[in-house]
Amino acid sequence: MCLQFCVITSPNWLKINGISPCWPVILLLPFSLNNPPWKAAFVSFLLGIFIDSFTLSDVSYIPSLLLLSVFWSIYGLHNKKIESFLNIGLMAIFGTAFVGLSVWIQKIIIYSFLRNNWFHSWSIYVLISEVIITGLVAPLFSSWLLLAYKKN
Amino acid sequence: MIKARGKIGFHLLLQSRFWVIFFLGSLLFCIRWTKGAGYLDLYSVLLKPILPGTAQREWIKEGENIERNIRLKLLEDDNTRLRRALSLKEFSADKRISAAVISRSSRNWWQQLEINKGTKDGVWKGQTVIGPGGLIGLVDSVTPLTARVRLLTDPGNQVGAWIERTKRHGILTGMGTNRPKLTFLNKNSLAKIGDAVTTSPASTLLPPNLTIGIVQFVNEKALPSPYAIVQLTASPEAIDWVQILKNNGQK
Repeated sequence: MCLQFCVITSPNWLKINGISPCWPVILLLPFSLNNPPWKAAFVSFLLGIFIDSFTLSDVSYIPSLLLLSVFWSIYGLHNKKIESFLNIGLMAIFGTAFVGLSVWIQKIIIYSFLRNNWFHSWSIYVLISEVIITGLVAPLFSSWLLLAYKKN
Repeated sequence: MIKARGKIGFHLLLQSRFWVIFFLGSLLFCIRWTKGAGYLDLYSVLLKPILPGTAQREWIKEGENIERNIRLKLLEDDNTRLRRALSLKEFSADKRISAAVISRSSRNWWQQLEINKGTKDGVWKGQTVIGPGGLIGLVDSVTPLTARVRLLTDPGNQVGAWIERTKRHGILTGMGTNRPKLTFLNKNSLAKIGDAVTTSPASTLLPPNLTIGIVQFVNEKALPSPYAIVQLTASPEAIDWVQILKNNGQK
């Protein structure tokens, strides 16, 4: 419900250059850090299906979210004390960059005309803006969610 | 003696108002002969700076607008009749549904709009969406109460377009920015910067003659075919209300 609200409303004050944060990464990160890999992978799969239903149905978030959830879960099992803002922010930045690159590569594979010119200014613009805004928002939301999970 | 009398006569003629009468008579004759042309010309020159007056100017403009509207209506009727005769797609201003934009993602990986009209209001997949400025995109998916619009700028979105001046067709491809790429089907595009890009009048998928944008850049030497970069006239980032044309679409 929260994700749906974030994606649909996408308030302007939470945007940079018209680009909103990568909400699946922000929500998946604390859950994956606090749960075993199989559970994180399952949730990421559901999250992927859910977020894909709000986008034009050509490329998918699922592959990148699956890989990220497993990686974060393993990392979380080995590092029990990941609560600092910087850690969360950095993980969200790398996660967003990975998700963005995955979308970009899928688009290049699907649309042949995008292969004709490899330098896509639009993709670089979206990727950088999304990484920056997610890096700024994630420490607030993800840290709070992580603490809430740990308390529960 | 005779000489002296002549001199006196001439002097009297000068003294009398004969010449004045003669001059006035000639002038009158000229005016009559030219039917007052000089007077009218002078009058028009004098009146030129003050005509038409403010009120007259308004009336003239209003009259011109009425005339243009009537002419437009007649041409539209004529166009519809001819399109019917040629079995081409029709474009009627009456078959429109207005909808508000409820969510916007015009600069992200997916460039789309969510609007507040769906199948309940007669919106179907594939219908054309226009906004102030021209074509915005096509309906990609619908729910009973909402519809998702794929913008022209979305990478992967391709529609047919043409340049009216040169009568050259091309494929308009979204490139993620407000400037899609128009790849021409002919070897020689003849396009110039400033040409208007519209939907093709012979299109069977899109309504005819919808404004798309203006040519900003042309590369005639590109291979395999020349292309142009088009600046869209409708900006999806600033549009809050759109209109869906009921001409096409699949139930």
